[in-house]
Amino acid sequence: MTVDYDPALIGRVFETTEPVPVTGEQIATFCAAIGETNPLYTDAAAAQAGPFGGLVAPPSFAVTFRNGRHFFEHIPRYGKQGFDAGKDVEFVTPIRPGDAVTLNSHVKEIYEKTGRTGSMVFVIVRSTLTNQNGEVVAHVDHRFMNRP
Amino acid sequence: MSDANNLTYESVQIGDALGPAEVYLSKDQVRAYAKACGMWTPRFTDDEGARKEGLPGMITPGNMSLAILSKLVTDWVAASGARIVRMGTTYRQPVMPDHTLTLQGFVTHKNESDRTAEMDIWIESDEGDRLVIGTATVHFPR
Repeated sequence: MTVDYDPALIGRVFETTEPVPVTGEQIATFCAAIGETNPLYTDAAAAQAGPFGGLVAPPSFAVTFRNGRHFFEHIPRYGKQGFDAGKDVEFVTPIRPGDAVTLNSHVKEIYEKTGRTGSMVFVIVRSTLTNQNGEVVAHVDHRFMNRP
Repeated sequence: MSDANNLTYESVQIGDALGPAEVYLSKDQVRAYAKACGMWTPRFTDDEGARKEGLPGMITPGNMSLAILSKLVTDWVAASGARIVRMGTTYRQPVMPDHTLTLQGFVTHKNESDRTAEMDIWIESDEGDRLVIGTATVHFPR
């Protein structure tokens, strides 16, 4: 089965956010909220001697950056029910206090799947995070599931 | 079973366990996460508001589930210098706060060519249902 969509949509960056500054305080608040106590993420002095040579954010901090205001307007929908079915994240460069992170988003893939409960359309939206040095921080693939 | 503090590519064996680790997420902790991450919406902050959205009560954000699963992996890696390079999650059922969750996983593959290990990881409810399932890839430096 195939699903109808405009192929020009795939790979075209539809949104670029302003750079979002990352503070040590935000990282500390995030760590507290998830119960993170690893010194690599919570103790600058201890982290200095660790594998990252300084304090870094826990990897999952990469998924906390908000998409731009118009993000959802650019995501094709099929039927009424759409929800967040999961994420695939590639962690490339650790996030450090003082970073400024920009998100670029595009539709990566659209496909249909038939399961026990009927047919579903998956829309994969990739947000690529880049820091102030132009280094890719992470690729976050959002898997949106639609029931036509 | 490898010693977490001296975890190396060589010491990791297929079948090695991550966890199990028990986590109790209170409603206040979920609210703290929602606040910290700019996700302050009724489904993540109050039962009444969540019910109006057709949910059984307030739920844990998917990103928070991802974060605690990621922590399972980074706790396993500890200060060994190994790094999580990829992680995927599938949200199968809502994760409700004020319940004890069990996080666990095991190593499924090792790839000599790029010195990575892959693992299955999941969040289990107190009734034994796998609410969130996922995979992670960890890279070991030489």
